[in-house]
Amino acid sequence: MAKITLNGRPVEAADGTLLIDVAKQAGVAIPHYCYHPALGNPGNCRMCLVEIKGAPKLMPSCRVRVADGMVVSTESPAVAAAQSGELELHLVNHPLDCPVCDQSGECGLQDYYMSIGRYKSSMVEDKRHFEKRKPVGPRVMLDQERCIACTRCVRFLAEVSKTHELGMFGRGHQERIDLAPGKTLDNPYSGNVVDICPVGALTDRDFRYQVRVWYLDRSDTVCPGCSRGCAISLHTSTQRPWHNGARRAARIKPRFNPEVNGYWICDEGRYSYKALDRDRLGKVLKLKPSRAELSWDAAFSEVSSRVKGLLEDHGPQSLAVVASGALSNEDWRSFKKLFVDSWKLVNFAFDPAPDQAGEEDALLRRRDKVPNLKGGAALGFGDQIKSLPWESLAHSIEAGRIKGLYVVDRDLFGVWGAKTPGLLEGLELVVFQGPWKGSTGDLAHYRLPATAWAEEDGGFTNFEGRSQGYRAALPPVGDAQPDWRIFEGLLAGLRAGRAE
Amino acid sequence: MTALLWTLAKVGAALGFGMNWAAFLGWVERKQSAVMQDRIGANRADILGLRVIGLFHIIADPIKLFTKEDFVPAGVRPAFHAMAPAVSLGFPLLALAAFPYGGTVEFLGRSWSLQPVESPVGLVLVLAMVAMGIHGVVMAGYASNSYYGLLGGLRGASQMIAYEVCLAATLAGALFLYGSLDLAEAVAWQTRMIAGVVPAWGAVLQPVGFVLFLVAGTALTKRTPFDLPEGESEIVGYHVEYSGMKFGMFMMTDLIESVVVACLAATLFLGGWHVPFLPVDAFSALGPMLAGPAMACVMVASFTAKVALVLFVLMQVRWTLPRFRFDQLLDLGWKNILPLALANFLLTAWAVYLAKSWGVSPWR
Amino acid sequence: MAVTVRPVTRPERDLAVQVYIVEVLKGLGVTFRHFFVNLGRHAAALAGVKAAPGAVTIQYPEDPPALGGRARTRHRILRRSDGSPRCTACLLCETICPARCIRITAEDSPAVVIEKRAKTFEIDLGLCVFCGNCVEACPVDAIRMDTGDLDIPAMDRRSMIWDLEKLMRDG
Repeated sequence: MAKITLNGRPVEAADGTLLIDVAKQAGVAIPHYCYHPALGNPGNCRMCLVEIKGAPKLMPSCRVRVADGMVVSTESPAVAAAQSGELELHLVNHPLDCPVCDQSGECGLQDYYMSIGRYKSSMVEDKRHFEKRKPVGPRVMLDQERCIACTRCVRFLAEVSKTHELGMFGRGHQERIDLAPGKTLDNPYSGNVVDICPVGALTDRDFRYQVRVWYLDRSDTVCPGCSRGCAISLHTSTQRPWHNGARRAARIKPRFNPEVNGYWICDEGRYSYKALDRDRLGKVLKLKPSRAELSWDAAFSEVSSRVKGLLEDHGPQSLAVVASGALSNEDWRSFKKLFVDSWKLVNFAFDPAPDQAGEEDALLRRRDKVPNLKGGAALGFGDQIKSLPWESLAHSIEAGRIKGLYVVDRDLFGVWGAKTPGLLEGLELVVFQGPWKGSTGDLAHYRLPATAWAEEDGGFTNFEGRSQGYRAALPPVGDAQPDWRIFEGLLAGLRAGRAE
Repeated sequence: MTALLWTLAKVGAALGFGMNWAAFLGWVERKQSAVMQDRIGANRADILGLRVIGLFHIIADPIKLFTKEDFVPAGVRPAFHAMAPAVSLGFPLLALAAFPYGGTVEFLGRSWSLQPVESPVGLVLVLAMVAMGIHGVVMAGYASNSYYGLLGGLRGASQMIAYEVCLAATLAGALFLYGSLDLAEAVAWQTRMIAGVVPAWGAVLQPVGFVLFLVAGTALTKRTPFDLPEGESEIVGYHVEYSGMKFGMFMMTDLIESVVVACLAATLFLGGWHVPFLPVDAFSALGPMLAGPAMACVMVASFTAKVALVLFVLMQVRWTLPRFRFDQLLDLGWKNILPLALANFLLTAWAVYLAKSWGVSPWR
Repeated sequence: MAVTVRPVTRPERDLAVQVYIVEVLKGLGVTFRHFFVNLGRHAAALAGVKAAPGAVTIQYPEDPPALGGRARTRHRILRRSDGSPRCTACLLCETICPARCIRITAEDSPAVVIEKRAKTFEIDLGLCVFCGNCVEACPVDAIRMDTGDLDIPAMDRRSMIWDLEKLMRDG
């Protein structure tokens, strides 16, 4: 252990820790641009200079490891003057187009100017001019003028994604970030360079000009994109509904979780928010034999009495349940309570089919594109209760052994393709429950709207068995209810039916 | 049958009297304030370029109020919200039916009373109707789903209750003299003369009572300086939750209440329809066909003139004094007017007792 | 500068004042005097005597008021030399607006020099409180409140909302 004095305060830290990290743990924020805990410390921005007793000059705290007896000041006049001077140098060629810059409001230059800058600029010459609007990839826009050459993006692409699309070109006054010849920034993790860019040089083309960041609300949640379960922060724009193309969800940013995803998320997850405002179900509907809008109470009692009739006539084998790994831990529990404990059903299908499989890599992405199969497995779905193979389920329906289907948030067209309508046609009862419109929902007798993950509290268990809770970020769409409440409602409806 | 028709006609006329006064006062209000404040006032409504000092605003205002958007704010209790202006306006209007707009005239061989509702407890009817108006105020405050509206409604309720009590107390002295709650009898009593020169009007015999009555009456109408329920510089109250003619009805309520108070003042303190030194049979020379109607016209004109005078003074007070603070308002009512009115009443009672026991009667 | 203290004596409120009735009568005296004097003047004016006006009112629509140089009146959006709106859709005016009467949506501008421009720009003049904060906030002097135009009433709420085209009319 090293005992150091930080701003006159004794602080203990493990030997060999970077001074900037020690200070951060002790609650002293040292300004910095180039240093990033996951991307190393080139020490090129010089913003983190601190005064160390005995050192002849100010030292960059991201390059200094603590040693016993160190006396450090981050607040001395010399430090303040040096940091302010460094900031002025960073801003010498910065275009200061904050009003039209998407980064403004969460920009390192703005933050440090207001906290440690406040100088009067001595720059009177023309600023240098580079390319202002260069789409370096399908998702990222580069503004070379705004760049302060911290090289975080270059290091990310070299060390984390290992794809090397961006590099530093030119020297001195002409130094700038640019694409490596013949490359495009289109790797599946390209969005992260926007997050790590401390200024507005790299911006998200998807988020570009949609809404100013100060109108966003931030909610901590978990990505539902695959079984990795990355910690994310969902940013929503509900204060002024005309922004962001009248959509509620505006963007997803990674949230640091060293156990799961570190600082990163993949692009697939980053843009999965778009589904939240697209093709949503909000009305409790009876579609067959005639279309009618129902109240939840009516739907609960109608569906449960239809199910009761089916089970009495043909036995518990006649109703199959199709589920998706998108259910939360809480949903799975009520799911089991309703279908296994109360209705005594035996035919379940929840394995990922082609509709829920995708690309996989060593960094974050997983093949099964549903977040919570593990949550079901914890309740026995997989071990005690096996998932029916999809083909045999189709055969059972064709053979007439299965007369009813309860589909929870799954589009069967992704599994069975074109033969789906024919299969569902012959069934006596099809209930669809889920957040999104889809062809399967249109073929159902009853269509029950459920909330999406961003509209409910809950938890996902990722493929390693790690459970993470998430909070509702948005109000439900229309009459939608969380899945577990629908299951409980049906349970209550069936009980009420029995009491009669 | 004739009696019923005559009563209905009289009641209709009384309502017309009130409504027309209210419409006219809307113009007077603006014009009088303008003249005393070196302004011109309403003068733009015209028919074919004819403006007539803005008198057409009397027509223009209702047209505007009736055609305006009837906006109902979100979250109100619709039934009560719609009912409140009607309740507020209806009851003071009913009170107008109880006043004697004239005495009794002979015509076509029978006598016609000019009082719509000839009740031995006419005054109680008037006070009861005015008191019922409180419900409209509270209802509006309750129904409008607004803190300020509710505050205004509560202010209005406590103010009107306080000043109902005061109003009754200020009238007690005069009523003790007249010995009746019948408004027609009160007027009949006032037609006598003191020493043959001064009419025995309530204002002459009960000056303190008259002044206190005017103050309490002004407070009852919820108009400046006692416009606490509205208080447009502080809460604006439930008025802001209404639009179009519903708002107009609240405006009219205040004006109708002013008319009621002016009618009460005219009836109980200014001799009602009585014209001093004009004998009842002054027009008998015109013959039996004209004498009765002529006398009726004079009586109604006299009553109307007295009401107009009181309204003019009330209007002038309204544009002269600033608003009271709420605690000052209640202090004034409960701690000042009520004790003074009661003292006035006791003094009157004592004087009447002494006069009776000494057998003195100063008026003949 | 030394603090100077000027003692202010509260006016004595003797009984005559506290009774208030006397003061009320004094006040009524003033207003009655004005009323009757002005009534006479109005009557004289009607009769054709011009010397003594009973009122000092400006007759508004015929006789427009002289506005002060700093008066904040209806907004306008200024144009660049090529006729396009100066607005860069930075949303600072929308952000500072205390009445939330400005609604802007942004898009990429075709010219690279000006990166961003307004796709829609609406001011709801029915909500505007004429505080002028939008003018202060604008970094490119695109919005001003100097039209001198105060006649902005409309027959319904919808037409109180002015779009970019309308706002640029006198830009």
